[in-house]
Amino acid sequence: MNSLSRRLFLKSSAATATLAIALSSTPFVLAQDDEAEGGHVTPCLRIGTDGRITLCVPIPDMGQGMETTAAQMIAEELNVRLEDVDVELMPFLGRVNDEGRAVFGRFYQGGGGSGSTMRIWTEVRRTAAYARTLLLEAAARQWQVPRSTLTAVNGEVIETATGRALPYSELIEGTRFIGDEVKENSVDPKPVDRHAVIGKDARNVHGKAIVTGKPIFGIDAEVPDMVHAAIRRCPHLNGSVQRFDDSAARQVAGVLDVVEMQRIPEDLSTYRTVAAGVAVIARDLWSAKKAAALLEIEWDGSVSQEDDTDLLRQKCLNALDDGEFNTSIEGGDLDAAFDAAAQTVEATYFHPHWAHTCIEPHSCIARVTDDAAEIWVAHQFMDAAINGVTNAVGISPDKVTAHYYRMGTGFGRKFEEDYVMEAAILSKATGQTVKVTWSREDEMEQDYVNSLVAYRVRAAVDSDGDITAWHMKAAGDTVPAIVTREYPARLVDTYKGEFLQVPNGVSRGAWRGPHHNVAGWVIQSFLDEVAAETGQDRLEALLKLYGRKESLKSVNWPYRDTFFERYRAVLEKAASEADFGKQMSVGRGQGIAVHHTFVSVCAHVVEVEMIGQNDYRVRKVTSAIDCGLAVNPLGVRAQVESGIMDGLCAAKYGKWILDKGLVTSNNFDTYRKMRIDEAPTDVDVHIVDFGDAEPRGTGEVSLPPVIPALTNAIFAASGKRIRSLPISENL
Amino acid sequence: MAISFTINGVGRTFDGDEEMPLLWHLREEAGLKGTKFGCGIGQCGACTVHLDGDAVRSCSVPMGSLAGASITTIEGLADSDDNLHPVQEAWLEEDVPQCGYCQAGQIMATVAFLKDTPNPTDEDINAGITNLCRCGTYFRIRKAIKRAAESMAAT
Repeated sequence: MNSLSRRLFLKSSAATATLAIALSSTPFVLAQDDEAEGGHVTPCLRIGTDGRITLCVPIPDMGQGMETTAAQMIAEELNVRLEDVDVELMPFLGRVNDEGRAVFGRFYQGGGGSGSTMRIWTEVRRTAAYARTLLLEAAARQWQVPRSTLTAVNGEVIETATGRALPYSELIEGTRFIGDEVKENSVDPKPVDRHAVIGKDARNVHGKAIVTGKPIFGIDAEVPDMVHAAIRRCPHLNGSVQRFDDSAARQVAGVLDVVEMQRIPEDLSTYRTVAAGVAVIARDLWSAKKAAALLEIEWDGSVSQEDDTDLLRQKCLNALDDGEFNTSIEGGDLDAAFDAAAQTVEATYFHPHWAHTCIEPHSCIARVTDDAAEIWVAHQFMDAAINGVTNAVGISPDKVTAHYYRMGTGFGRKFEEDYVMEAAILSKATGQTVKVTWSREDEMEQDYVNSLVAYRVRAAVDSDGDITAWHMKAAGDTVPAIVTREYPARLVDTYKGEFLQVPNGVSRGAWRGPHHNVAGWVIQSFLDEVAAETGQDRLEALLKLYGRKESLKSVNWPYRDTFFERYRAVLEKAASEADFGKQMSVGRGQGIAVHHTFVSVCAHVVEVEMIGQNDYRVRKVTSAIDCGLAVNPLGVRAQVESGIMDGLCAAKYGKWILDKGLVTSNNFDTYRKMRIDEAPTDVDVHIVDFGDAEPRGTGEVSLPPVIPALTNAIFAASGKRIRSLPISENL
Repeated sequence: MAISFTINGVGRTFDGDEEMPLLWHLREEAGLKGTKFGCGIGQCGACTVHLDGDAVRSCSVPMGSLAGASITTIEGLADSDDNLHPVQEAWLEEDVPQCGYCQAGQIMATVAFLKDTPNPTDEDINAGITNLCRCGTYFRIRKAIKRAAESMAAT
């Protein structure tokens, strides 16, 4: 394909955010045109017809700051200031694989696993560096001078000797025909010591749009000819519709249609993807909602009578005594170590389900025709949203055009496909462009919750107080293997991890720091118990434990090397900044904990003050995180603060309740969330710099250690050990 | 009978379903998407607007109650995007927004709160600000409220 025909191809496809299949075989997008939007120089840079520079970032933002972080990477290589440019999402640039699924292409285009920053780190900077080089080369040709005599500064190419300048916007045409001569990988991104934007605090690039109420979220999307759907979803877990009467609903002005939603998959004994229900289609949202409330529906909830929070809890606890467990990890002679122990410490822990409570209820607009589809959606993973359409109505991913929006939080819930599938199904069924808007009750009843698990943890301890054997059993409604494999297994040479899944029908999913969010609590609380039982200083005991080995390769995803020097460093930093161990007045206490989540490690010291016997307030949290190179320190601190609040809130109040298959905690009156009155007024976050040249991740990392730091602080303040969550019911 | 009121100083009339909450009129009929839907039961505050100067949760205000009312939404808080309200400025200075979904409601609640409590203590803030933030930006919200209060006192 020559430059001109490639340009035309791109004009017809990628510019409208269509899945750009050809990009997998095309080495690079040199430039693409859109008369309304201006021209692109690589997918990272768009210059408007007015000369305005827009940086295009590959991963959607859900509050984790990904658009700001990615924009910093691009701004660094293009030598522009963030305050001078706009930032927008690039279209999906993936391809269709052999199984007919949309998959990522050049860029990773999903937010999850605290890995977005590191997954795009190399490609985004290299792409932006290439764009800079193309702009320099275009100026060099125009002026007939060597490229080496030019620099790119603040959106202009400048000839160093003469000072003459050309704005990027006047060079875009010139970049189009030099792609074969300037190879895309001929330029390396800047080294760390030349960074001027990366590593510096950057405020949320969409801050102004947010504080002025601009329509930037998925739920704000509108398409001129769309109609609205309100769906009554079966409130019984995995239940079905027996019969319904829509005569009253159809009387509501504006109602166009009533459509029964089939459960997907049909087999009620398998986990739900799309709930059974009845949808009302109306010209406006209020009429749809009002009519949906008038539907008379007879549900069949018989399938989930045993899916009950109290019953599941009891089953898991019973299983700890008599269940048939699977071994997740094993080393050394466990029985011999416990026989030889000077002391044995044992405890049982339990946590219920947590709901996501994404503050923006899910929504999606879909327009499905015979052979193509278009969606407007806020989703964590660009590929998954497209695959949702394919799964729902069979349109091939290369025929799906997707428009992505900012998410009002995601936490792993907006990784699921169900809300996209519903819109696609209803669009196909009605022949209309349909917007599905979920209610809060929908969002909580149809959640893919964090797992419910009971644990029994045992430690054999020698006469010095050192742990000689570690044994962890977990019985839950998921496969709770990850927790049982976590350190200190292998850090202690004799260890065993065992897990068991109790049969149930609950749909579980990723919830900020999946598995780690509870692993951190159980392990770090139990280590605190061991230190207390053996009369050791809590911090010293942790430093000694994490001083046993220098590194281990993690047996949990993403299977990276763990360097325990960093555990010790964040522990020592948090402890020294918090003056851990200081004298506290009666009713006050400090707790400390550390946990490694996926790729990064974080420690906290939490200070609590008891309020009577059964309540408390967190007065201060001091944190230290190692997340590799901090691209945006201000954003890293924001994410640490966010994880702290999320953890403090889930630990104290989080309890998603199933009552014989019915979700009874389905709004903020029955599922309590913390507000500002319970938030700590003092949060002190420290980023520990090991001189890394590359970033790792942050979004989920601060949550897992904050819950044990809290419960350990409550123990220090009150003498009460919290072994069952939520704290509000167990203090 | 048509109901007359103003939104951000502009007169409007409404003759639809009087049970419809103001939230849906703002979002679906007036084209003002800055006011957010969060819970529908007045719990979260994402839909906070000013009704005759007071902060109210628009998901719980029926259209039928609005005769003669003066409503201000986040879109009407500042004269223009280049001349923001001090509370909006403080939100930017403290880099409060993460996802940002609840922040219009937080800002509207804060503006009304500071009118009655221009120099708030932590206890005042704890009692007066009850909006939910799922990102947990409360630490920065508290700092932004105090910054806005200082800035408004200085002018």
